[in-house]
Amino acid sequence: MKVEEVVLPGVGRKFTITVGSGDRLVIMVHHSGKRELQYFEAGEEDEPQATLDLTDEEAREVGAILAGVLFHPEAVGDTQSKLGAKVIEWIKVLPGSRLAGRTVGELPLPPGAHLLAVDRPGAPLIPNPGPEVVLEVGDTLVVAGSREAVEALKRSL
Amino acid sequence: MHPSVEAFALAAGLLALGAALVHRFGFPPLPVYLLTGLAVGEGLPVEELEPLPSLGLLLLLFSVGLEFGPDRLKELSGKATRAGLYDALALPLGFLLGLLAGLDLRGAALLAGVLYVSSSAVIVKLIIDLRRAANPESEVVLGVLVLEDLVVALLLALLGGHGAGGFLGGIALAALYLLFARYLGPRLVRFMEGLSDELVLLLGAAFTAGTALLFHAVGASEGVGAFLSGVIAAGLGLRARLEHLFGPVRDLGVALFFLVVGAEALKLLKGLSPLAVGLVVLGLFLKLPLNHLGGGQAGLGRKRRLYSALYLVPRGEFNLVLGSLALAQGYPLVAQVAVLLVLLSIPLGALLIRYAPELGERLYPRAPRPRRVGSSRA
Repeated sequence: MKVEEVVLPGVGRKFTITVGSGDRLVIMVHHSGKRELQYFEAGEEDEPQATLDLTDEEAREVGAILAGVLFHPEAVGDTQSKLGAKVIEWIKVLPGSRLAGRTVGELPLPPGAHLLAVDRPGAPLIPNPGPEVVLEVGDTLVVAGSREAVEALKRSL
Repeated sequence: MHPSVEAFALAAGLLALGAALVHRFGFPPLPVYLLTGLAVGEGLPVEELEPLPSLGLLLLLFSVGLEFGPDRLKELSGKATRAGLYDALALPLGFLLGLLAGLDLRGAALLAGVLYVSSSAVIVKLIIDLRRAANPESEVVLGVLVLEDLVVALLLALLGGHGAGGFLGGIALAALYLLFARYLGPRLVRFMEGLSDELVLLLGAAFTAGTALLFHAVGASEGVGAFLSGVIAAGLGLRARLEHLFGPVRDLGVALFFLVVGAEALKLLKGLSPLAVGLVVLGLFLKLPLNHLGGGQAGLGRKRRLYSALYLVPRGEFNLVLGSLALAQGYPLVAQVAVLLVLLSIPLGALLIRYAPELGERLYPRAPRPRRVGSSRA
């Protein structure tokens, strides 16, 4: 992500944000507190695809939501896929996790939650891992089951 | 009751009426103030309205100094500077026109200034009102305006004095102010931080009016004084606070100022010579090719280049200051050019800026978006 900041005398400050996909967001912060947003698709120079005006209050609220202050989405770090009432969850073994160095057999799987696979970076996928497999930092556990069971597992970790 | 109350009620009512009329069409109100004044003409008791319009102009110049002071030069991108240099070619061209029109050196220099400088106050207001601030051309245009205002402030300091004494007095006073800001500034800022908003507003008003008075007393242009006090205030880090405090006061003053300019224009334009009209027409279009080239140098696309040239059409505060100076120094031709130029360029410029996208669309039709490879259907 690239952020450019320009001062517009008499008007305010302009931030041009180019994200990874090449799309651009231009945010104009007026002295009056008004925010003007313009969205440009990648490769488009002249005309914005969409514009939006926000009051100062609205902008702060949106900013807080973007920063994850008001609501921290579960999807940050974990990925969830919904299958009706059942879910599949990818749980990463982070450095310092209690799981690192323990075997699959020691995993406190609640009833209704199942370990489908262990994805180890740089190694072939370990499908249906046996209880003797030792978990390492960086592994991703693919867990399926009812939402409550998977949530309970995540909490217990 | 004082007669000024009646005059003020009439003026404010007219302004509100004008603003309400155009608000429906999404049109900026500033040109309408000017035209309203022109329509009412002698019917407006201008004498009774004073000192509000004069103060409005001083506050306007103060806020221009606040926003467009030399410290903005540091923040200016290279592309805006390049565009500004092309724009400044209007000065020698204007000077040449002045000489051709039979003016002496001083008169030609005044005319050059009148033709050169665009109104940052009007253009900023149009850019904000028409929601063009986020566009790439606005950045270039505002950068050009920073350069223009500095050049014209220097020009005013150079020509504004009553003789050599006034010029030297003005320079000495400006140097004194800058030294003061440099050495006492930081201590003053810390002191000001503890003051209430109301006190800052009053101090700011006193400072601006006092500086203008002081400049006038030594024989220099009071407009430069007001501009300089804005520059100093910005240097003291009071920009955001003063802007917030002065904004509404200034807007009212500026509206009244333009109303009065419109009302008094007819009187000034009596006995308008074809020469003056010719100079105004040339002045209106002189900068278009220059700014179009400048926009190209600043790396704008061809549509944006056109927009940036159109944005710089409106003339305003500094042209009128130069015009009244020219009148005082015995160049009625330059004064007429200034007034007529402002009168025409603000409504025309507002229209051009408003319809710039439509104009660009007509001149440079949008290329159809590239289709995916393989879909060969026409």
